[in-house]
Amino acid sequence: MLDFSAIQVHTFYLAQEAAATDTAGGINIYSFANQLVNGIGIVGVLLLTGLGLAITFGVMRIINLAHGEFIMLGAYVTFLMQSMFQMDLLLTIPFAFLGTALIGAVTELTVIRRLYGRPLETLLATWGLSIVIQGVVKLIFSAQLKYVKSPPYITGNLSLITGADGTQLVAISYYRLFIIAIALLMLGVTLYLLYQTPLGRQVRAVAQNREMAKCLGVNTSLIDLLTFAYGCGLAGIAGAVISSLKSVSPPMGQDYLVDAWMVVVTGGVDKLIGVLAGAFLIGESGSAIAYILNDPVARVIVLAAVIVLIRYRPEGLFTVQKRA
Amino acid sequence: MVESRDPLVRFGRLGRRKFIKYGSLAVGAGVMTACTRGGPTTTGSAAGGTGAAASGDGIKVGVMYSTTGTIAIVEKSLQDATFLAIEQINQGTGPWQGKQGIMGKQIETVVVNPDSNWDLYNQMSKRLIDEDQVTCVLGCYTSASRKSVLPVFEEKDSILYYPVYYEGNECSSNVFYTGAAPNQQITDSIPYCYENFGPKGFFIGSDYIYPKESNRIAKAELVNQGGQVVGDEYAALGTTEFITIINKIKQAQPDFVLSNLVGDSIPAFYRQFKDAGITPDQIPIMAYPTTEEEIQAMGAEYAEGHYSSFNYFQSVDTPENKAFVEQFKAKFGNNRVTNGVMEAAYLQTFFMAQAMEKIMEEGGEINTASLREATRGQEFNAPQGKVKIDPDNYHTYLYSRIGRWNSDGQAEIVFATPSAVKPIPWSQALYKGRLCVHPAPDDRSDPTQETGTDLQVEYLES
Repeated sequence: MLDFSAIQVHTFYLAQEAAATDTAGGINIYSFANQLVNGIGIVGVLLLTGLGLAITFGVMRIINLAHGEFIMLGAYVTFLMQSMFQMDLLLTIPFAFLGTALIGAVTELTVIRRLYGRPLETLLATWGLSIVIQGVVKLIFSAQLKYVKSPPYITGNLSLITGADGTQLVAISYYRLFIIAIALLMLGVTLYLLYQTPLGRQVRAVAQNREMAKCLGVNTSLIDLLTFAYGCGLAGIAGAVISSLKSVSPPMGQDYLVDAWMVVVTGGVDKLIGVLAGAFLIGESGSAIAYILNDPVARVIVLAAVIVLIRYRPEGLFTVQKRA
Repeated sequence: MVESRDPLVRFGRLGRRKFIKYGSLAVGAGVMTACTRGGPTTTGSAAGGTGAAASGDGIKVGVMYSTTGTIAIVEKSLQDATFLAIEQINQGTGPWQGKQGIMGKQIETVVVNPDSNWDLYNQMSKRLIDEDQVTCVLGCYTSASRKSVLPVFEEKDSILYYPVYYEGNECSSNVFYTGAAPNQQITDSIPYCYENFGPKGFFIGSDYIYPKESNRIAKAELVNQGGQVVGDEYAALGTTEFITIINKIKQAQPDFVLSNLVGDSIPAFYRQFKDAGITPDQIPIMAYPTTEEEIQAMGAEYAEGHYSSFNYFQSVDTPENKAFVEQFKAKFGNNRVTNGVMEAAYLQTFFMAQAMEKIMEEGGEINTASLREATRGQEFNAPQGKVKIDPDNYHTYLYSRIGRWNSDGQAEIVFATPSAVKPIPWSQALYKGRLCVHPAPDDRSDPTQETGTDLQVEYLES
């Protein structure tokens, strides 16, 4: 709802915006480099938020509109752990994973399981679920923004190019690097689980041919449960890590949902590595356009580009060619 | 919970089994919507919770704040402050000590939740006026929602009490503005920035009416002072990614940043600002919508040394404010903070109650016309100090203050006017000499007057 009204507003102000940016002067090369380097920071957030969706949608084909809410739940687990046990943010990450995975497992057992093979109903049900989760969180924690303490030892900036007078011309904050590291780590772990372990083989077997896998003795319902819970747990990790950089509030997930979907759809749903490519493309192009124009316009352009892309390549950029 | 009134989905030609299946889905969805949205609930003691029986002949007042959606973060606290005031009026406590309701009549609240959706504000205000027949409405936060309901209140001739600092340039016979007009917030803060930080300002805000208009006025003020606008950037409402804007700030090297970001963008921006290695000594942020609540959410260490301009801070030293903070915490919890918008929502409820009392004392009937005339010129000893509704332009005499945030999340007040400042609805930097004077009694004719001269700053005599 809000996004649409916002888009209307910026098209309305586009002309004014253009006039404003003209006066801002030409493009400074260091500043532009800084923007691209920091775009990596956006890539990290996109990758982390998109990864869980790549599991639930890419592997399991569940259209999960409650993905954003699982990110939000992860952030609230972190908040809860911090306020109850004064825990360090890093230590809360496993709890965020387990907490959201548990809620994800309950969701799978009660809702998703009954709707396999009916994408339209799944879509409706998960959308309803997102409203319910937001409502419940609001009832328990109230609608106010919540404070999450960031780890005190990850502060400051890594300076890549320093000017003659000692100012940092191109720099990226350590916390952003930390997010990227966590995102890549989780991508690695997921790839390992999926392609190097017997469990991952079973997951892929169920995804490719459920009936055949069942015939060969794979416990498909258990695999479904574990996969969905794992996907939700990844969303929880994203929420925990992002919480101290951004804001924690019940509707926060909505912001990441659209981005996560764009990443997964752009990258292609078959290959996990597509998520990395999708995150990189969207994050960097978005930040480059935002630098030249501005943030709201960049968002519109990227969104439009994704729509054009899935019109001509509905299977995304990175997909295996299948025989018809 | 009230069932939603509109059928969610219509089905034609469905088998019985399918109908049951979809039907139960629809009912489930309906319950969910009802749970999260909450239909209008009329209750005499919603605010009090004391069980003071609504006698049925109470005075119906609409309370319209979103308790779900993006803006709920702010509007929920406005609703809390409003409920506190109504409870105090109905029970005769706080500033209403020694009285009981409005001459014995209880205030009944009709509470609606527009779900942070501008169109729903419009629909719900129609419902409040037409179906629930409320005397007046307390509500709205964003300018977008005010603009959405304004035609409704004007067409149906009802009254809205609006508690928010806003961009000005509006003067309706159907709205009492109890938040700051531009001259009570922008006109003092820009010279302060110019003198204390330097001439170069970088303007940022969320992408909707208020920040754009407010920044337009602030930019005009800065240019009037001889300063320079080195940047002007907006982020979509609800954005929490500020890499680009912060990079542009770094490039432009301004003397200060003027922020009109709202809602959940605020903590994200301050955190990333500090994270990018910019200290308040290098580039301080002067903000309008950043209050105690947002500071609490981001952590005081991220705001320390930055500034906000507001009529009220929790640290204001008056006996009324001590009582207000104490009563608010007693009702809503010790970890809650109060801020300027909540204070306005609180004080406007007393303006309304005092006006109603005045009508009853004079033996009149409470309706739009009598309430409008009675509200004009009302005075109240608010937490921020003595305030008054300007009888001519329906805005409010308010204090103008600038606070510097401390390490404990409270503001140290570094600038304050000696008493409440007379409101000037039209920005004088943009519309020089334009006044707003409603005739008495108000016949709802066009109130704008052009004087073409510089308007003098006037203060409320204490």
